[in-house]
Parts: sequence; C-alpha cells; structure tokens
Amino acid sequence: MKGYRNYFLTKLLWFLVTLVVAFILNFTLPRLMPGDPVAAIVARMAQGMSNTTGVQAIYEQYTELFGTNRPIVEQFFIYMRNVFRGDFGFSFSQYPRTVADVLRTSIGWTIALQFPAIVVGWSIGNWLGALAAYRKGTFDKILMPASIFASSLPAFGMAIILLVIFAVSLKWLPTSGGYGYDLIPNFSWRFMWSVITHYQLPFWSIVLITIGGQAIGMRAMAIYELNSDYVKYSRFMGIKDGKIVRYVFRNAMLPQITGLALAIGTMLFGAVVAEVIFSYPGLGSTILTAVLGQDYPLVSATTLIITIMALLANFIIEIIYGILDPRIKAAQAD
Amino acid sequence: MKHTLRQVFESGKFVSGFAIFVAILLVVTIYPLLVPEPPLRIIGQGTFFEPGIYVNVYDSISAPHFTLNLDEAAERRIAGRLADRDRGAILTWLVGVGIPESEIDIANTEQLLDQWFSNFDPTVRIPGMTNADRNYYIRLNSSIQGLLSTEDVIIAHANEETASLEAAGTIRPSAYVNVGQIPNVRILPLGTDNFGRDVLTELVKATAVSLKIGFVAGIIATTIGLILGLVSGYVGGFVDDVLMFITNMFIVIPSFVLLILISFSISQEQRGAVTIAVVIGFTSWVWTARAVRSQVISLRNRDHVNLSKLSGHSIAHIIFRDILPYIASYVVMALILQISSAILAEAGLSILGLGPKTTEVPTLGLMMNWAMIYQAHILGKWWAYLPVIIVIALIAFSMNLMNTGLDQVFNPALRE
Amino acid sequence: MKHRRLLFLIIGLLLALSLTLAACGPSVPTPEAEEPEPAPTEVEAAPAEEEEAAPPEEEEEAAPSEEEEAAPAEEAGADPNALPRNETLYFNGQQWGSVVGWNPYSNNNNNAMTIAQQDNARVLMFETAYLYNMLDSQVYPLLADGPYEWNADRTEITFSIKPAAHWSDGTPVTAEDYAYTWATHVKYNTPTGAANIDYIDDIVAVDDGTVMVKAKLDEDGNALNPLLVEAYLSTNYFIQKAWTQTLEERVGNDATALLADPAEDVVYSGPYHKYFADDSKVVLIRDDNYWGQDASMWGSLPVPKYLAHVIFKDNAAGTTALQAGEVDVSQQFNSNVNLLWEQDGLPISTYVPDPPYMIGASLPTAFFNLDSPGLDQVAVRKAIAMAVDYPTIIANAMTNQSATFDQVPRSLMNPTEGEQALYDHEAVADLQWVGNDIEGANALLDEAGIVDTDGDGWREYEGENLSYVATCPNGWSDWQAGIEVVAAAGAEIGIEITSNYPEWSVYQTVVTKSDAPLPEGYDIFMMWSDGAGPTQPWGRIRKLMSSEFIGMSSNWNGNWGMYANPDADAIIQAIPAETDPDALREMYTDLVRIYLTEVPSFTLMYRPQSFHTVNETVWTNFPYEGDGTNPPVPPLNLMDGWSVAGLYNLELVNP
Repeated sequence: MKGYRNYFLTKLLWFLVTLVVAFILNFTLPRLMPGDPVAAIVARMAQGMSNTTGVQAIYEQYTELFGTNRPIVEQFFIYMRNVFRGDFGFSFSQYPRTVADVLRTSIGWTIALQFPAIVVGWSIGNWLGALAAYRKGTFDKILMPASIFASSLPAFGMAIILLVIFAVSLKWLPTSGGYGYDLIPNFSWRFMWSVITHYQLPFWSIVLITIGGQAIGMRAMAIYELNSDYVKYSRFMGIKDGKIVRYVFRNAMLPQITGLALAIGTMLFGAVVAEVIFSYPGLGSTILTAVLGQDYPLVSATTLIITIMALLANFIIEIIYGILDPRIKAAQAD
Repeated sequence: MKHTLRQVFESGKFVSGFAIFVAILLVVTIYPLLVPEPPLRIIGQGTFFEPGIYVNVYDSISAPHFTLNLDEAAERRIAGRLADRDRGAILTWLVGVGIPESEIDIANTEQLLDQWFSNFDPTVRIPGMTNADRNYYIRLNSSIQGLLSTEDVIIAHANEETASLEAAGTIRPSAYVNVGQIPNVRILPLGTDNFGRDVLTELVKATAVSLKIGFVAGIIATTIGLILGLVSGYVGGFVDDVLMFITNMFIVIPSFVLLILISFSISQEQRGAVTIAVVIGFTSWVWTARAVRSQVISLRNRDHVNLSKLSGHSIAHIIFRDILPYIASYVVMALILQISSAILAEAGLSILGLGPKTTEVPTLGLMMNWAMIYQAHILGKWWAYLPVIIVIALIAFSMNLMNTGLDQVFNPALRE
Repeated sequence: MKHRRLLFLIIGLLLALSLTLAACGPSVPTPEAEEPEPAPTEVEAAPAEEEEAAPPEEEEEAAPSEEEEAAPAEEAGADPNALPRNETLYFNGQQWGSVVGWNPYSNNNNNAMTIAQQDNARVLMFETAYLYNMLDSQVYPLLADGPYEWNADRTEITFSIKPAAHWSDGTPVTAEDYAYTWATHVKYNTPTGAANIDYIDDIVAVDDGTVMVKAKLDEDGNALNPLLVEAYLSTNYFIQKAWTQTLEERVGNDATALLADPAEDVVYSGPYHKYFADDSKVVLIRDDNYWGQDASMWGSLPVPKYLAHVIFKDNAAGTTALQAGEVDVSQQFNSNVNLLWEQDGLPISTYVPDPPYMIGASLPTAFFNLDSPGLDQVAVRKAIAMAVDYPTIIANAMTNQSATFDQVPRSLMNPTEGEQALYDHEAVADLQWVGNDIEGANALLDEAGIVDTDGDGWREYEGENLSYVATCPNGWSDWQAGIEVVAAAGAEIGIEITSNYPEWSVYQTVVTKSDAPLPEGYDIFMMWSDGAGPTQPWGRIRKLMSSEFIGMSSNWNGNWGMYANPDADAIIQAIPAETDPDALREMYTDLVRIYLTEVPSFTLMYRPQSFHTVNETVWTNFPYEGDGTNPPVPPLNLMDGWSVAGLYNLELVNP
C-alpha cells in the first residue's frame, strides 16, 4: 500500500508540474506569434479614416483596454488572476464578445459531434478487430486490408468523398450547417430531425477513419492474448470457449482504452476538418480562426481546456494502470 | 539477417505494400525523365480543363484533310449541340408564344429549328420565365445557328494592306485529319487544375515532395523518440520522470495546435516544404518515445542485460549491443508509421491553409488545398482532387501494409 | 479479476461523466438551458460595459416568442420556428462568423447584414439621407425629401426630411436626430467622426424638418473638400437622438463602452430588424410599420418578410448551398460561376450573362515598394508590369469574372461607363500596355542600361541582382493566383521574383505602417482600391497616388508603396472643388498619364463592387443588365445604396 501511495504521489506531483508548465506555455505560445492583433481591431475601426491622430488614439485606447501595452510578465499575472475567477477576457477577433461567450456557443457542438463519434468508432473498430482475431480466415483476410485502407485515407479525403457522394450527387443528406437553413432552434420534432440529418455526414466521416486504426490495433492485441499461456492452459483445463474469449478480449482492451481516453481528452480540436468541410458549428474551426486572427485570449483559453482535459485523462489512466498492473508500479520504483 | 529478410519477403502483406510503394517510387523517378516540363508551369488559360487529348486546331487546318463519308456524322453533330433537354425547352418556348403543341414535333429537327428561328425573340418574356431561362434561350439560339448547314466553312486570312478577308481554303463537313500527322497534340491524362497546370505532372512532383517531407519528418521524429525512449527507459529514476514530463507536455498540448502555432510563427519568411517537415518531425515523436521506453523497461532486467552490466560494459555498449538490436524491428515499424502519418499531417495542415508556402514545388496538401479553394469538388472536377486523395491513401496504405507484414514476421504470434 | 471489475467500473463512471458533460453542452442551442453567466470582472475598463454585454442572450430568448406574437397573421398550422421559404430571401457571402452587436456607432459589430456605412451604404435597418446608385452615379433621396442644395459659396448643404419618415418606435425622424448623431460621432471619436471631422465643421437642425451641413473651410473661405461633405449624406446613418441618450446614460459617457455596446435595444428607421442570430445564421424580419410604404417613398413594403443569412465556414459550403437553392442572392466569389448554369443547368444567373458576369468596380492593385533597390527605377517597374500575363490572371485566377485589359484599357478608372468617360482614352493610348509583352519589357530594360553583366541570368542594377518578393495575404485565393503569375513573369525578363504569403493579421500590420520603410519581403504587394461611390474616381485616385498618407502609423487609406509626386498631389488636391466637366476631364487625363508613365502601382484585374449571383428557384425579378428598371437597380445584393430598390420588385416564381 505504501508503494502505491508513493506511486500516486509521484504521479500527482508530475501532474501538477505539467499543469503549471502547460498553463505557462498556453499563455506564452500564442503571444509569440508575429503580428499585432490590436491592429486588426483598429483596422476595422479605421477604414475610411485619413487623419493620423484619430487612428493613433483608437489604437492606444484598445492596447490599454486589452493590456497589450504592458510587460508580458504583468500580462501573465493579470491573466492568471482572471482565469482563476473563470474570466478569460475579451476575444480579440470577435470583440466585444467575451471568450466565455464564444466558447459557450461552440463547445457543445464539438462535444456532441466528437464524443459519440470517437466512442462509436472505437467500439466498432475493436469489435471488428476482435472478431477478425477470433474468426481468422476469410473474414480476417478481407477485413484487415479494408481496415488498413480505411485508416490510410486522410480525414479530409473521407469527408470530401462523403460530401460529394451523399450530399452533392445523391442529395440524400444536407451539405452544411448544424441544422436546417430555414429553422430557428427550438424543441420540435422537425428541428430535432434536422439536427440529426445534419449530424450524419460529419459524424460518419470521423467514425469511418477511426474504425480502421482501432480494428488493426485490437486484432493484434487479441492475437497476442489468444496465444498466451493462460489461454492455452485454460483450454487444456477444458474451460468453455466463450468464457475464455471474454477474458481474452478484456485483457486485449487495456491498451486500447488508453487510446480512447486520450482521444477523448484531446477531442475538442479533433473535428476541425469535418467542421470546416461541412460548415458544422463547433470549437475546432473557432480555434482555427482564432489562431489565424491572433486572438490570444481565445487561443489560450481553448488550448488550456484541451490541455486540462488531456492531462486529466492521462493522469487517470496512469493511476488506474498503477492499480491494475503492479509491474508498472514496480518498474517505476527502481 | 538474410533469414529475416527472406521471412519478410514471404509475408504477403509486406510484399503487396512494398510493391505499391516501389511502384510509386518508380513513377516518381521515371516520369520526370519522360516529361521534363517544370511541374508548376501554367499551360492552360482557363481552369480545370477536362482530361483528354488536346489537338491543335491551327495545325489541323493546315494538316492534310481526308474525306470520310460516315453516316452518323451529321446526327452526332446535331446531338452534340441540341440535346433532348434543349428540344424540350424549345417546345416550352413555342407553346409559350402560342403555337399549338400538336404542330410541334421535337423529333423532327428541321421543322423544329424552322419554327424556332421564325418565332424566337430575345425580348419577349413569357410569363413564369426567369432571367436564367431567358439567358438560356439566348445561349441556345446562338449555339444552334447554322446547325443544319451542309455547306463548307471558309478559312480566311486578313489582308493587312486592304483590311479585307481573303479566302485561303475551305473545310468540308466530311473532312478529317489524322492525329498522328498533327505536330502539336498534348495528352492531359488528368486535365489541368485551377492554375491551368498539367495535373499529372504536378501530381508526380508533389508525390515526390510529399515523400521527402514524410522521410525527413519521420526520421526526425523516430530519432528523437528513440533517443528519449532509450535514455528514459534505461536510466530511469529522475531522468525518466523529467523526460516523461516533457513527453507528456507534448501529448497534452495537442500536436496539431502546436503545429499550427509553430508553422504560423515561422510564416514570416521561409515556410518551405522542408521547414514544415522539420516542424512535423519535432511534434510527432511522442508516441515513439513512449513505446520505446516501455520496451526498454521490459528489456533492461533481462538476463543478458544484467550479465552485460556485471561484466562492466559501458552504458553505451549495453544500449547499442544488448538493447538496440532487440527493439530494432520495432523502430523500423515506428519509422514507417511516422512517415505515413507525416504525409497525412502535411496534407491536413495544407487543407487548413497552414501548409508549406512554396511556389517552387507542389505538395499533395497544397494541390488539395487549391482544388478545394476553387471548388473542384462541387463543380464536378474530380480530376483535380480525387487523384490526390488516392495517392495519399495509396502511400499510407502501402506503408501500413508493410508495417503489418513486418509485425507478423517479428511477432510470430500474429502469424496465422 | 477484482481489479478488472474495478477498472470497468471506473471507466464506466468516466464515460458517464463525459456523457453528462456532453449533455450539458448546448448541443441543441436552447436558450432556456443556459443561465446567464455571472458578469466576468474586467481588467481595466468600466464594469458597466460588461453588464451590458449580457442582454444578447435574453434577446435571443425573446426572439421566438416575438415571432409567436406575429404568428397569428400567418396560416394556422405553419411551424412557427421555420422560416416559410416563400417569404424568406436567403443570402450568402456577407456574414462570416457570428454577429457581435447592432450598434450603428461602432465598426466592431461584425454585422454584415445591417451595418455598413460606406459609399454604397447598407440600408436594411438603418437609413441614410440619400441612396447612391453606382450605375448612373446619382444619389436619390431616402430619408431626405428632394435633392440637397449647396449655398452659393459651396460651403453649406441644406436638405429637408420626408414628413412621413418615422422611427421604429413611431416617433418622427427629425433634423435634430441627424445633428445629434453627428455630435455623438464627434464627442466619442467614433470611426465616422474621426473620418469626417477634417471636412465637416458641424451639422445643425435649421428646424424639425431641415438639416444644414457646414463644411470645414480653408484660409480662403472655400470648403476644404466639398466632395467628401456631399458623400457624407449618402454614407452615414440617421440614429435616433432619444436612443443615443439612453445609450450614453447606460455607458456613463465612456467612449470605449459606447462603441462596445451591443445595442440590442437600438431604435431604427429601416424596413428590417433583428429576428434571430446565433453562430449558424442571422435572420431579419420586416417591420410592417415601416415608414417607407408611404407613397412619398416606395409606396409599399419590401416583398420578402424575412431576410436570412446562413453563416458558412468557407466559400465552398456557400456555393453548395447556392446550388441547392438554399441561397437566393450570393455575394461571394463562386469560381467558374458560369458552370452552374452551363454545366449544371441550374436557374442561376449573374447581372451580365456573359464574361465578365459582373460590373467591375474596383481595381485590385500590385503596389511597388519604391524604396526597394531598383524599384525606384521607372524602367524596372514598367518592365515588370508589361511582362505580366494578365489574360491568364483573368482567365485562371478570376475564372473570367473580370473585364480584360483589351476590353477596358488600364487607367485609374473602374470599368463602368461613367468613369471611363472621365478621361481622354486617345491621349494616353501610347502609354498603354496589354501585358505578356516580354520583348517590349526586355527592350525597355536594355535601353535603361539595366542588363545582366555577370551572365547569371538575372539583370543587375548598381551591381546587385534584381531580386524581389511578391506578396499578398495567405488564403486570398484570387490574389494569390495573380501573384503567382506576376512571379512567373519576372523569370522571363531576368528579374527574380519569388512569392510569399504571410497571414493577413501579419500582412495588414506591415503594409499599413506608412511611417517607416516597408521591411524586406514586401517589394511588390497586393492591396485593394476603392470601388464605386459618390466621391469616385477621385477618392480611388487619391488613395492610389496621393503622398498625404506617407507618415501615418496606421494607414488604412492607400499609397502603401509610398509614392510621392507633387504634380499628382496638386491635381488631386484641386479636383474636389472643381465643377467644370472639361477641366475635370483634363485633370483626370493628366493623372492617368502620370500613373501610366511612372507606374507607382499596377492593376492586375477588375473586381466587382459586390459579387452578385442569384438563384431563381423561389424568387425572380432580380436586377439584371437591361431589366428596364428606371433608375436602374445596381447589382449590390438588394441591400447597398439604391440596390435596396430591388427588394420591392421581387416576385415569387410560383406564387
């Protein structure tokens, strides 16, 4: 038990250190980009102005407002103080909207798209991989190359092919947006149905490329386990096949679950290609425009959320592994 | 070694992957020798020319003409310019201006055109007709002028002194030229792109560049991953903690965001293909490092390593002699995966407009990006984007196949 | 085995947790699911502003119920949350990203449907005194009654206000509103105030129905710039005094807070106002009490009850929607737009049926950095401009949506008839070039003694190889494609030109900094020019050639290459006060001559004021060339300047 506590404490310590460093990086990295974001806002204000002093006055007004005229260290402490109060400040690119407001309207779409897609892709992939490992034969011969090919397609390639086939050519599904172009959000069947149909293409474009990679991984893991000594021993003992298979797949799943946790941890940005190609609302494309528009507060806030989610996922996985697999703990100890 | 190689080449998956890969490499090397044109030369004035054989019209006028009396020639000519849809539209017009439907036979081309030419008036606006319809009828009217004509076409020169036209020859409707006798024929197997560039030539060059990006990025990532993994795993303790901390940093700050930030920051000057490759390499070593580390941890307590330690061998000796050989196969597989994922990463970055900014060489991602910007996919110009997707998929597919093949050779449990 | 159980339990919990998370997120944006965020405390600025930032949420909640009130007018059984296709006109290409506010004093609303105070002002929600018509270069009264009048000295403009005009709250539009709007612009140094304060002295109410605009005068007692004073009338909105005072009170007279106010409660005089706005779309609804249905203005309400703009993430998505008939009026660059009807057979058309499909109005221009070594030589500048293959730029980059330089020879004028008539084509014909003239360009350089002496293939000037970077913002596709062609031309004439595409956010800060020489990498760079408007072509020429902008730290006007020519400056200075057409023609011809001789910059293509493509699946009778409207309705998406008249002509295809 003492060993476990040490393990836990070490992990916790590193978790906190990583968090602090990541926090600093999240603040600093976006601000290292060249260019002047305040100038972009002033640009919008200044179009048509021909007197220098007027433009200069507006510029100074906004550098003061956003604090970009202060030393970067001071900016950092102000930022830190505000973040602890849950205030990420104004978004530069969508000023005068606040970062919190921007995030609130887009984060739900991304989670609703990515989370089920990752889970479904992961489940189908693992199920197929396990089946391939167990059944072997033709099933495996066809499934394997197919999975490999599917996982070889670039994400945007899959998205474009789906778009061209199902939306542009066959017109079975809508081409863009999160819900019908003629609807106002409300709780009605028509609206729900519209949300569901608009959901399909972005969803499947993510699921289809997830399946392949997962299937390959699961198949390999399952074959290792099927050939391991305990399986041979169990067979020898005459334990029923179904029971053995259940254990085999549970064991084979372990490494796959790490992947799942990390994919969920970093999912907020993962759908950017699907969001752009299907004009689907969400955070991924918000981050992209934020980066391009040098919206420091928005970039820092989104990367911070992603970082914390990923760190937590990683931390939890390590803790669970520590509990489950004494070898890992032991390896760490020496 | 020889034995392993033979085993490797006995794996069906590896061999098929290898064959695809070698085929791609061969095309990339041989094609530029056959078509030495600069890949980014703008040859077409206009966008997205369809794949096909382009015959110089100027040359075909002066080339020897042959008369072939073929029955379907006139019919085909008419069908090409007056489709069934157009006949239907003419019917709608004629009915609209008050001609009884019973008097119109859309299958009778001669009568139909006759009725059309005597009744069409571009200024008339039939009720329910949109401006788009009006434009359509005007276009149709000018395209079917002289459709039934059987007379020769006269070729004329402009005489600069008298400013008049002088007949230089005639072309009969039954005149043919032999493509082999025309000096200027250009085959565009994949048409042209939005810039008017030959897509195939560009694609071949882009594949070469993307492979280079893949190799550079893959080697960088694998080297970093290998070194960090080895040190972290073998030395352990505090060094391990620190290195794993760095690794974790790279995992939790999503590499895609990092990539965007870095490639954005270096955007000022040289965001060339190699720079992008280096950036991709420096952000994608994490998984290799983690995997190598766990392999090394399981290796370092093996008997032969302990024996080596007891014999007082140096750390370098142990790592190179007693550990590296055992994970070599794994590293090779990791490298292959890194290469294929780097090619995908470049394409992904480019599609978001963050890829290499080079005008000297094309990359697969840039080709894709431009095809999307000029909306090839919704205009049905498949040749501008589909071949690119297929090539990317084929490269990744061949690499993944080789990888799986290797996996089965090195891990006998996976063999069927 | 116990451990495994535990693992699954924990993972199960994790999944459940994440699912809850997902459920909490407003996957279906339901207003009532969200509690108003506690107002975040702000670093520096007034807290009042933050509190004001909250209302948008409430307004969104209110929108659907508002519509329920309006619903009884419609047939029973219609879905109150769907916009009836037959009553809605859909747009694309205007609104990118979500709307931030509805504040007519600010430029930071990102509200493309309602707020644009420009040469062709957008008058759907807020209205100007006059409407500019780019097709006949006339202004037509909107809130004003009859034409405006200059006094004899041309120092003061007087116009009266239509008696029928009233605000959305029913109170009449008065001269005092107009005067107070100006006073507010000045008091808070709004963009409009700062832009006009140098030319307008004051705006006063003579009586309730009469406005007087006083021009700033020079030492001789003449108006500094009568042209810009006139332009103010058709560019800037009437804003209600009473509402402005409410706003001032709310923000405590703080300028920053005033400009940052989202102004959800704004009072307007125009025919449409906010119905709904979120990340995916903006919808305006008609105000059936709109004053303009009075016979003294339009005589009826505009036809569509709703105007809707779906927010697309890129052009491709917008074009797909246009193809599908989900967009009626498209203001975006649809590449190869002709394929939509020629190949796909869709009921889609542009203002002109054949190339260039649109009415060209602005001149996307490549500026030379006149400080770059070698580019101070006219021969080098002109040689580069002569060698560029313009037909390829127009055919490939613009997919033929630009007039060619054969059709409209280059000058400082846009390709509209009105502007083309302003200068003497014959007088400058010798100076013209058509492009792709490699021989001529080479000869010009040889003659100037700029040759390749060391045989490396590149010409030298003062011992240095001529090597330049041509640049434009990343992702501005037609410009990028144009720059590629420029770079290709360099190699043909022994001048090395490489291209570079910085991000816009970087590019703009570099290019607009006119108080220091441009840095390396900006030798030849693209920027825009003014389009069509009441001050044109004077305003455009000034921004292309006047040296008055050199030295500005944030120069959003023009002449970014920092060209200075006292002769040109003198003519530019003199034009606004000149009223004699012959003298004007003389002056404009001189300017074109200087421009074509000195080549401080060169135009790569013509671009329309707005792209204007319509899909006639649901609506028809959009403006097209020769549609018989008088005065002609310009193709500016039925919302800018006189183009708004088109909204009253629309008909349903299947009524």
